[in-house]
Order: sequence, then structure tokens, then C-alpha cells
Amino acid sequence: MTIAPTRPAKARRRALPKRDRGARGLSLLPAHILAWVYAALLAVPLYYLAVSAFKENLEIFSSPFALPGSYTPENFLTAWERADLGTALLNSVLVTGVSALLTLALAIPAAYGLARARGGLGTLVERFFALGFLIPGFAALIPTVLLAIALGMFQTRAFLILFMPATALPLSVILLTQFMRTVPRELEESASLDGASRWSVMRYIYLPIARPGIATITILNMLNFWNEYLFTLILGGPDPSVRTVQVALPTLISQTNTQYGVLAAGTLLMLVPVYVAYVVLSRQMENALLQGALKS
Amino acid sequence: MSEPSAAPRAVDRARADRSAVAVFTGPATIWYFVFTIGPMIAIFVISLLSWSGLLATPRWAGLDNFTRVLGDRVFHAAVRNTAVQVAVVLPLMLPASFMLGYYLTLKPRFHRVLRVVLFTPALISLSAMGTVFYAIFQPQGMVNSALTSLGLDGLTKPWLASPDTALAAVIFVSLWSGIGFTAVLFSARLAAVSPEIYEAAELDGCGHWARMWRIAYPLTKDYFGVLTMLQFLWNVFASAGLILLLTKGGPGNSSTTLSFLVYEKAFVQSQVGYSQAVGVLLFLIGVAGLLIIRRVFRQNF
Repeated sequence: MTIAPTRPAKARRRALPKRDRGARGLSLLPAHILAWVYAALLAVPLYYLAVSAFKENLEIFSSPFALPGSYTPENFLTAWERADLGTALLNSVLVTGVSALLTLALAIPAAYGLARARGGLGTLVERFFALGFLIPGFAALIPTVLLAIALGMFQTRAFLILFMPATALPLSVILLTQFMRTVPRELEESASLDGASRWSVMRYIYLPIARPGIATITILNMLNFWNEYLFTLILGGPDPSVRTVQVALPTLISQTNTQYGVLAAGTLLMLVPVYVAYVVLSRQMENALLQGALKS
Repeated sequence: MSEPSAAPRAVDRARADRSAVAVFTGPATIWYFVFTIGPMIAIFVISLLSWSGLLATPRWAGLDNFTRVLGDRVFHAAVRNTAVQVAVVLPLMLPASFMLGYYLTLKPRFHRVLRVVLFTPALISLSAMGTVFYAIFQPQGMVNSALTSLGLDGLTKPWLASPDTALAAVIFVSLWSGIGFTAVLFSARLAAVSPEIYEAAELDGCGHWARMWRIAYPLTKDYFGVLTMLQFLWNVFASAGLILLLTKGGPGNSSTTLSFLVYEKAFVQSQVGYSQAVGVLLFLIGVAGLLIIRRVFRQNF
């Protein structure tokens, strides 16, 4: 199991390229095998999904792993029509986009306020937001429904848009505060001596420094808002004119006679926007998700 | 504050600072209070009410809901299922992800491809994951087709409709989606461990196994705890959506977990007070779980 060092470490380090260090030798064979078996387990369902989208039920059942006989868009068209995916996509874009903007509008000033605060109040508010990491979003589903009913906004997109930012605020505020803390205090003091208002200090000094943080939380929040299922199902409701793609998709499942090809096609259609975003922004998206998990 | 005139000015400035904090953080704080903290508190209040249906008028019930919940067989089943879920998922997922994360830091061949594949479940929404696995576990779905073509007809099952396998199927999906992403998280943390430490260990004749568990693990134990908490919370609270899509808690109550029971009681059976009593108990279980995990993984050096 051990790799006997034949040369002193220093010489060896020069001899081997840095990245390969430790990745050689038979001792890792079980690890290679396990890692790729798991990767295959991840890939197979996605492959099944992709080929099923071009098949009829009979073909899916009889030869699930075979490549489709023909590539016709029929299932996609049926899925699009039956689940009213066009409307659902627009709803998802609207809810995701406006919620993300609203989150920024709330989180940026809050982060600025916290970053420049010196007293106990700032610490208190920051603790209050940090507490949010421990509150699982799902816990308060029913009271949130009651709140929506009380506001007369149950099963509307407007309530979703108002509600979503609250779930994203703890992480957004704390992450942006950390960025804004790096602004030297003298910079702000000299700016306010020159007569700059607090808003313009925030706009021209703090905002540019926090830009990478803003990009991170926007990506993370949009992904979370886009993918949110249970809350959009309950708070948004099943009405085709209001529901998002996440709610529309499972309606393709029927208790008696599900057309699995159509279901697969609908699922693929819905994954496309996320994967396109991933291809374009892969590095930023990975960093965003990593930071999102690390901060909690 | 040595000059006499500076003191009042400092007080003024502190006051101005405080009002600035209030003005700038006010909207976000109010928002957060109305939509997150308020509903959290409401759970505790509603659990003390008798409330049949969201549109009915509630009346005071004291601790009646709790007595009913604690004596209910369905609740007992839900506790058992949640315990199974946590007891299976956490001990499998975290060590597996940790080792996979360590493996990634070695930068083996094709590690970039591997990383992308491991990362994909993080992008897939719960409802997409639910529909895909709903199809896969159907009597004529992928799993049974694969078993049949391997000549293992005897093992085919209606996976989601059989009381023996419904919960296992849900657990499988949690593991399927969770291990990869958690591994990527681990690898980000493990990459920060200084290579010199490993080199010293290598000179002492330590293999990968020893380096992983006797060096990397103690160094990143707190982070191991953080990811354990994350997965604990996800499995205890967020799996309700997955269960709704895959099994609806059935057959019978064989895959009803606590978080699904909260949902089911409120929206399917219109027992809001009961539902929130379960919610309170679930919350307490969540807090207790987090405290235990923190204690177990406390950095002790």
C-alpha cells in the first residue's frame, strides 16, 4: 500500500510534476475503480433520460439503453404543449429574475451598513442574519402559507417574488459584508469630507469592491430560485398561468398512463437553461456553490 | 478622546453611525423577520391550536396536539423512518465523499472530467431528479429492465410501490445526488492542507489510507462536522419534496418521514395544529442533532 520514497523529497519534487504527486502506483487502483463506478452511476440515469426522450413507451421498456431508432422532436413538442412549458418558463424567468434583483436591492445596503458599523447594533444584526444558516428553509412552510393567505397573495407570483429573497438574505448579506469590510475606513472618511453622501459612498466605493461577491450570490440565488420546488408548488400553486417549470414538469406524470418519453423530453427541456448557464459560467458557478456551502 | 472637545463629537458620530446602520440594514432585517423569523415563531403558536384546514377558524387546544402526536402510530413510523434515513445516509455519504474528495486532490488522470460529473447533481432541481427517478424505479423502468437483461428477473420489484423498498429508493436518491457534490466540497477544503505535511508522512512510510484518516481527517475535522450538519439538515428537513414526488410517503406509511408528515397533515389531511406540533418536534430534533454533531466533530487539539 505504501509508495517507498526512493529519493529525498526535495529531489523527487523536482523530478515529478507537482500535480502527479501521489497519484501514481497500484495502491490507488481500488480508488480509481470506486470513483469511476460512482461516476458511471451518476451518468447512467442521465443517459437513460436523454435517449428516452426520443422513444415511445414500448421502446423504453424493451430496450432502455439502446440509442433511439430515430430522432424526432415529437416528445418535446408534446411535453411543451401538455405541460404548458412556454408559460411556465416565462413564470420561472420572471420569479427568478425579479427575486434575484430584489435580493440584491435588500442585501447590498444591509451589507454596507454592517461593514461600516462599529457599535454593538451592527454585531447584533449580523448575528441575527447568521442565525439564518441554522434555520432550515423548509421548516416554516405552513406559517408562510398562512402569511400569504393573510396578505391576500396566496398562489400568486408576487408572493413568491417577495418571499424568495428572504431565504437568500442570510448568506447574501454575510458574504457581501465580508467583501465590503475590506474597504479602508480612511477612504470613506476622505470621501465624506469631500461632501459625498452615504449613498454615493456606497455606490462608488463599496459597490465596486463587492462586485465579485455580488456575482457569486447572484449566480447562487438564481440557481436556487430557479430550482426551488416545494415552496413554489405550495405558494405558487398548480394553476398553469402562475406555476413555474419545476411545478409544471411533474404534471406530466399521470397515475394511470404516463408517457415516459414525453416526461423525459420535458425534463431535458427544463435542464437545458441550467446547463447552458453552467457551460458559460462553469468556473463562477462552481465557486458560487462552493462558497455557498462553505459559509454555512 | 484626550481632547475635551473630541468626546461629544465621538458620541455624536456613534449615534450617526447607529442610525446609518438602522437605515441601511433596516429593510433587509424587516424582510428577514417577516418572511423567515416570524413564520418560525408561528410554528410554535400554531402547534397549540386546534385548526382543521387552512381556512377554518382555529381555537386554543393547549398541548392536545402533542398528546395526540406522541400517541399516534403514524408519528412513530415517521420517527423510525427519519432515524433510518439519517442512520444510513450520514455514515455512508460522509466517509465516501471525504475519500472521494481526497482522491480528487491527488489530481489523478481525467480528474477534471470526474469533477464535472460529480458536480452535475448539484445543478439538477429536486423536481427533475424526482421525475427521472420516478421513471427509473417504475415496474417497467430502467432498474427492472437492466435486471431482466442480466437474467436476474427474480430481483425485479415495483421499487416505489413495495413497502420494503420505498424508503430505500428515497435514500438511494439522496446518496446518488449527495456524494458527488459533497466530495467536491471536501476536495476544496483538503486542497488547502499543506503538501509538506503529506510529504513528511510519505517519508515515514504512510500510505494513502493513513494520510487520509490520520492526517487529513484530524486537520479538517471541523469541516467534516460542517458538511455532516449540512447533510443532516437536508435529509431531515428538505427530503419532503423528494418523497412527495417519488412515493407520497407510501405505500402505507413505509416512507413517511417527519418532514413529509408535516406536509401531509397540513395539506392533505387538513390538520394544521397536528402538523405544526410535528414541526415543533422536528425542530427540536434538528437542534439536538446539530448540537450532537458539533460535539462529535469538535476540533480537539
